[in-house]
Amino acid sequence: MVPLSYYLMLSAVMFFLGVLGVMLRRNAIIIFMSLELMFNAANLAFVAFALYYHSLSGQIFVFFVMTVAAAEVAVGLALIVAIFRTKHSINVDQLSSLKG
Amino acid sequence: MILPWIIIILVIGGTLAWIAGRFGPHWPRWISLATLGIHFGFLLYLWIQNYSIFTLTTRSPWFALFDIPWISQIGISFSLGMDGLSLLLILLINLLGIMAVACSWNAIKDRVGFFHFNLMWILASITGVFLALDLFLFYFFWELMLVPLYFLIGIWGYENRIYATIKFFIFTQVSGLFMLLGILGLYFVHGANTGVYTFSYFQLLGTKLPQPLGFLLMLGMFLAFAVKLPVVPFHTWLPDAHTEAPTAGSVDLAGLVLKVGAYGMIRFLIPLFPKDSLSFAPIAMALGIIGILYGAIVAFGQTDLKRLIAYTSISHMGFVILGIFAWNTIALQGAIIIMIAHGISTSGLFIMVGDLMSRLHTRDFRRMGGLWSTLPRMGGAAMVFTLASLGLPGLGNFVGEFLVLLGVYRVSIPAAALATLGFIVATIYSLWIIQGAFHGRNTEGWKLQDMSSREAAIMTTLIAVILWLGIYPQTVLNTSLPAVEAMQKYAIETQQTIVSPQISPAQPLPIEGSITINTGGKP
Amino acid sequence: MTAADVYAILPLIVLGGASVVVLLGIAVHRSHSLTLILTLTGLVAAFLLLPLVSIEAPRQVTPLLVIDSYSIFFSGLIIAASFIITVLSYSYLSQQRGHREEFYLFLLLATLGSVVLVASTHFASFFLGLEVLSVSLYTLIAYSRKEYGIEAGVKYLILAGLSSAFLLFGMALVYSELGTMKLAQIPTSLSNPSSGVSQVFVLGGLALIVVGIGFKLALVPFHLWTPDVYQGAPAPVTAFVATISKGAMFALLLRYFTVVNIHNYPSLYLAFVVIAIASMFIGNLLGLLQTKLKRLLAYSSISHLGYLLVAFLASGPLAAVAVAFYLVTYFVTTLGAFGLITIMSNSDRDAEDPEDYRGLFWRKPWIAGSFTAMLLSLAGVPLTAGFVGKFYLVTAGIGSALWLLVIVLVVTSGIGLYYYLRVVVAMFASLPKGSTIAPAMRISPHFTGALAVTILVLLLFWLGIYPTPILRLIESMVTGFS
Repeated sequence: MVPLSYYLMLSAVMFFLGVLGVMLRRNAIIIFMSLELMFNAANLAFVAFALYYHSLSGQIFVFFVMTVAAAEVAVGLALIVAIFRTKHSINVDQLSSLKG
Repeated sequence: MILPWIIIILVIGGTLAWIAGRFGPHWPRWISLATLGIHFGFLLYLWIQNYSIFTLTTRSPWFALFDIPWISQIGISFSLGMDGLSLLLILLINLLGIMAVACSWNAIKDRVGFFHFNLMWILASITGVFLALDLFLFYFFWELMLVPLYFLIGIWGYENRIYATIKFFIFTQVSGLFMLLGILGLYFVHGANTGVYTFSYFQLLGTKLPQPLGFLLMLGMFLAFAVKLPVVPFHTWLPDAHTEAPTAGSVDLAGLVLKVGAYGMIRFLIPLFPKDSLSFAPIAMALGIIGILYGAIVAFGQTDLKRLIAYTSISHMGFVILGIFAWNTIALQGAIIIMIAHGISTSGLFIMVGDLMSRLHTRDFRRMGGLWSTLPRMGGAAMVFTLASLGLPGLGNFVGEFLVLLGVYRVSIPAAALATLGFIVATIYSLWIIQGAFHGRNTEGWKLQDMSSREAAIMTTLIAVILWLGIYPQTVLNTSLPAVEAMQKYAIETQQTIVSPQISPAQPLPIEGSITINTGGKP
Repeated sequence: MTAADVYAILPLIVLGGASVVVLLGIAVHRSHSLTLILTLTGLVAAFLLLPLVSIEAPRQVTPLLVIDSYSIFFSGLIIAASFIITVLSYSYLSQQRGHREEFYLFLLLATLGSVVLVASTHFASFFLGLEVLSVSLYTLIAYSRKEYGIEAGVKYLILAGLSSAFLLFGMALVYSELGTMKLAQIPTSLSNPSSGVSQVFVLGGLALIVVGIGFKLALVPFHLWTPDVYQGAPAPVTAFVATISKGAMFALLLRYFTVVNIHNYPSLYLAFVVIAIASMFIGNLLGLLQTKLKRLLAYSSISHLGYLLVAFLASGPLAAVAVAFYLVTYFVTTLGAFGLITIMSNSDRDAEDPEDYRGLFWRKPWIAGSFTAMLLSLAGVPLTAGFVGKFYLVTAGIGSALWLLVIVLVVTSGIGLYYYLRVVVAMFASLPKGSTIAPAMRISPHFTGALAVTILVLLLFWLGIYPTPILRLIESMVTGFS
């Protein structure tokens, strides 16, 4: 039996890796993957604690999150494709035409 | 019912003038004049009707009261009241309104309809300020006044108008918000003391304020009035706004907008915060004296004629604040006379400068000189107004300044002595205007048309009123006396609740108890 | 779930159903006007159901949603605003090429998400509502498929995704300590000493949730996306982002942090104070630097949300009324401003350059006059709704003795005045002689857009002059019921 705190630690580590990825990487796809990592870090914590509390709500919530994440990916990838068509690049540093 | 109509007639007249502007430039002018004529009729009716009670001090000082609920949830009502003080000031509004229309008769050529709309709305909102007996309503009109004034200066003003209007707007709006803090602080203290949450003036009188909150609230309100008046450290918007405004705008600013600050102090600041404001009085009076001397000295250094007159306004307003904070009957009566007389004499000077500008196309004082020979009638009129401004006996300003000094002398001899110095510097700058503009050599070789009959009529009216004020100020003093005495009584009776005769007590705040947002949990 | 439960959530079902109908309608017959009519019918039906549903209120429908007068009030506000935005969108899209019909589908879905948010009492409905709203907004923002739009869409996508992740992790932390995601159980679990709850984790979780909320509300320091998205999105969508999305989130914030009494967490309270002050300052100061109108309104909305936080932090019955009333005035004003930008825009670009507005008053007095009214309302000048709204905020703030916040509000709104006035000045300025009118200036407003704006202007003055009826409604709906 793995202690509960391990799950939380792993989840936290994943979350911060995700944050770092979003902050440091410039490729839109990688940034997107990092976001997914953050979502799943939360999912891990939910599942672990749902088990601990013997409550189903945490696990069901994870299904919601997965659905939502899928929807986000669908829209997100569509947008990334669209931006690639106009800019021929998915480097977020090039998204700088909006200025005051 | 007559009181709301005094405001509404101007609102309607302004709107009609705007619409009528489509049909031709003369329509808005005549409509505005007609509106002001009806306005004057209302005022005259009120004045004559109440003339008999002036001497009976036992009667209520209020000529008319009007009160209907407005935003009843937090105790706001649409509450108006007129006493001698407000009647006099609204008469001044009417007179100067007519002068403003008359002096822009030929000067304003484009967008005439919108111009008169703004003019009428300024007059309406200032009328509202002088009538409001609900602190929210007062603040409402106070802020409302800015918008049309902003357009008036911003559209029809001179070169630097954008800077001037924005500065003016921000100064007054921010200070107005500080007044709002003062009003709201008072509101909540009164509500906590009595359980009645109301903005009614009569109910808020006599609120016991804890220290130092009371002093800070008073300071917040003082700031708003001080900016409008203006008291010296807060005056910097005034020369800019005056200089850039069209003549009608300068007339409104100098004649009317400056007066709302003084009115606010007499009507609200001291009666609502008697202890705090009178403990502040030495500082306020010092500021007044500084204003008198500073305004006069700086005026002396100006080359722009409008700017010069603007600074003399600061000097005159110093007398007003001195008189107000001396807070005795004589000084207050003096302050009221100065308010009226300054409104008229300064407006006269601004109109004269406007007339000069339409001929010379400059306000630069150094380019004038020797104009008397070519403009004898205008020179004569200018002479009267400058003499009034320096306080020549027989003209209105003298009476006011004399009464203020008399009243201040009882409170503080040094203050009165220092203020007297103001007379000397006033003499210098007044004669400086006449000397520089009308006497001396006509270096530029001006050859100009003297006053037209329209301009002469304006000047004659103003001179007549200022002479009347100087020779028989009793008409004004009699009218304002009951009001002044009532204000003093309100301020003294801090410990007692003052119940007004016709105003019903406001409703308590109906929303009580805590927020009960349903949080779920139970099906 | 009983029949009464279903009845209670009928407005939501109607909104969801309407989006399905619109979707099928597009599949069967692609017609712009037909789609508009279907959308409006759905919104009107949902709106008309609200008073009927309120008979059942308050009712907890499953642990996820509550239908009480609070949520009904905000649902009504959201649906009404959505109605106006739909009408504006029709006038906007009429000038655009390409497929226009799907726009309404996303508009309906985003509305549905917002209505779920205001009725949410559970983390699941919170998250789902938020994501339905956000995902619809990604597409709406990028809908024009012009470069600016897509760029704004991607920026919003990344930052909104990030904030959702923070929110989710915050929820996970709270869940890990309390073992519940029901809002109502959070305070009881917290106060139960035997549970051995670690305050640090809960506080950390709440802080992360605040990050997620703060992002949607565009509060400083989570505001970085705002100017770009405002500028890049089509004007009606910007109106949606500025009003409905923020309004729904604020209603949720007020509900959650009234239940989880924020005054019990001094550090969280302090954080909100700092956020409020920073939003007011940054919004107004950076607004001074903007030249594009939509960016200017972005900073303006940042500061307005800062003002709203003042009332949020003030407790007591007046605070909720102030928040609700201010949101109403903010909705009317902001919708009006963006509605006018919509009217002014053409198929090439949105009207946002100062040149587009120079001398407008002398050519299109009604448009310029309405725009002036909207700007003055944002500045809080009498006769307009913004005046009474700001008055209520200040009243609520002073009522709770939040002197520092109120003074910051006063000072910063003075700073903010400057940039509103600058636009007004431009509209009243005379056109330089011989100048040509910019392309975006050839306005031929669609009558639907003009109608919507006229209604908003009338509302603006009505709320500014006689707000008593709406205040009465707000008091009965928002503060209390037996």
